[in-house]
Amino acid sequence: MGRPLKKLLVANRGEIALRIIRSARLFGLKTVAVYSAADAQSAHVGAADEAIAIGPAEAAKSYLDIAAIIAAAKQSGADAIHPGYGFLSERPEFAQAVADARMVFVGPRPAVMAALGDKVAARRIAIAARVPVVPGIETAEISAAREFATVAGYPILIKAAASGGGRGMRVVAEAAQLEGALEAAAREAAAAFGDGRIFIEKYLAHPRHIEIQILGDEHGAVVALAERDCSIQRRHQKIIEESPAPGLSDKMRAKMIDAALNLARAANYTNVGTVEFLVEGHNFYFLEVNARLQVEHPVTEMRFGCDLVCEQLKIASGGKVAEPPAPRGAAIECRINAEDPEHDFRPATGTVLHLSVPGGPGVRFDSHMTRGAEVTPWYDGLLGKLVCYGANREEARGRLVNALGELALLGVTNNAAYLRDIVATEQFRDARLSTHFIDEFFSAWKIDAAEIDSAIVAAAITATDPQTENAAPRTGTDPPSPWDALHNFELWGSRR
Amino acid sequence: MKLMRAGDSHEIEAEVISRDGTTIRVRIGDRELAAEFTPNADGGGILAIAGRRYPVFSARRKDSIFVSVGPTSFEFKPAEVAARRRARGLAAAEIIAPMPGKVLKVLVRDGDLVEAGQALVVIEAMKMETTLAAESAAMVKQVRVEEGQTVDHGAVLIELSPPPASTARESAPRAD
Repeated sequence: MGRPLKKLLVANRGEIALRIIRSARLFGLKTVAVYSAADAQSAHVGAADEAIAIGPAEAAKSYLDIAAIIAAAKQSGADAIHPGYGFLSERPEFAQAVADARMVFVGPRPAVMAALGDKVAARRIAIAARVPVVPGIETAEISAAREFATVAGYPILIKAAASGGGRGMRVVAEAAQLEGALEAAAREAAAAFGDGRIFIEKYLAHPRHIEIQILGDEHGAVVALAERDCSIQRRHQKIIEESPAPGLSDKMRAKMIDAALNLARAANYTNVGTVEFLVEGHNFYFLEVNARLQVEHPVTEMRFGCDLVCEQLKIASGGKVAEPPAPRGAAIECRINAEDPEHDFRPATGTVLHLSVPGGPGVRFDSHMTRGAEVTPWYDGLLGKLVCYGANREEARGRLVNALGELALLGVTNNAAYLRDIVATEQFRDARLSTHFIDEFFSAWKIDAAEIDSAIVAAAITATDPQTENAAPRTGTDPPSPWDALHNFELWGSRR
Repeated sequence: MKLMRAGDSHEIEAEVISRDGTTIRVRIGDRELAAEFTPNADGGGILAIAGRRYPVFSARRKDSIFVSVGPTSFEFKPAEVAARRRARGLAAAEIIAPMPGKVLKVLVRDGDLVEAGQALVVIEAMKMETTLAAESAAMVKQVRVEEGQTVDHGAVLIELSPPPASTARESAPRAD
């Protein structure tokens, strides 16, 4: 390969940092982790060959601090930087800073990222490449927004021009809500992306979200690794993703892949990326390009038997992408989040007091969780991704229901049971997928009454158990340590 | 013993009536349940109730009792802790930050009369905006934060007092 790499700095945290470190090691690279003060004991720090503290807990002063990350890379002698997803992954100025420091950025070129990362510019490229788009305009002006909404008809969707992953998106059902929504979206956009520009488009009534995984090299070759259906979303956040997209005809798939490849070629795309579409009936509309590794990339890896992070490193080293093999079977992923599904999905924090990890054929759990891990309010609440493979969708689904049943994460309220109950529904089994799946079939979720009874029984036993009551009083003047929290873990103290 | 589930205002009466080896009788409200609990080597155990077996784990931490039943996670608090925060005629006397974050908007002023469900303050935490609303009709006694301020978990954002009698409404706490 043209540009052999030796040492990779991973500019991220959580499950994705861990996942990248694993592949980088396989690829023969030394690895460098960076971490904020809140993550000093996090799994990715221990997994890397070396680890460098880059700042305080606030992301703006650590994982989003370009200067601190470049300094860490120089200090460690890294010759490449992988941005993961989120944080700096789609910031062209970061890719440029990496290049200016004479290191390799594992991702697309800065100019390509800049063009595709901007929804408005990306849309222009798509239109030029004859890829269908949803009617829409860029404006934060209330008068222009009103005019567009009147012509296109409500409901409309308001989103940050710089957004990814649904942050700052709002559906406006009627004219009276427009002004407030526009204001809140601009505020959220400015806070989350440092860019308050707003894009408004027609809201499709009943679409599916289907995306194409693409890979491009520096020699002009671009290939597609089939699709992922990410229709199951809650407040525009994907929670379940799968491949293949159930019921998608070969003809439609081929058209979408063609469109994605045309777009990628028109943009001179390199490295891995995802072209997202909304699909309604026999029509599909370009949504956006995610110019980075996607959260749900394991779904594709399971079907193609490939490692997309290794592919990224190969491309970044100047290597060529090969025509992919035919995909096999089906894979479904769900995102385990620290949130309370019974109380409006309020974000949850806490310490992991016990962790049971599911296993068995075709089961993959990408997670940085360990017993004792702290889930802090500083970053997004993704605890892990549970991905199941099967010879067909039904086998993958069955494995996922079982695997979610085996998962136990004590101490941090999470959505695992909620996800299990979705995957177990007949509507999911029958793949009645649309981005409104949750609203249509699953809006009134409640914890099973028998499980609540069991929990109350367990709580009553724990509360009255003398040994747990007196367990682990801290003695002396030792400073508090996370391990203190685990002393009283022998909860069934009076077992005989 | 009275327990409350975190985020819930509903009190649960629960009591271990008897425990003989693995056989446990528990009263929940006016119901009595028979359970078999078999500890496992991993610190948890299998709880069998009404013919179903659940893998359970449980631990105490600070004020809370955490329980997992299969993949379902629970957090309980003794009811006294929650009761301390209550005042007569109000579902909650204080609007508390559910987690550390930044105050984006304060929507009320001292002395305002608010209705159940009315938005009071918007905070940003974990990159999401969360709107905190009044759980019952109330009068804003004191706004304790400013827009832009960073707040810790449990910080009191707004103090409420019962609404003056003339404007008080039959407004029960919302059932979550």
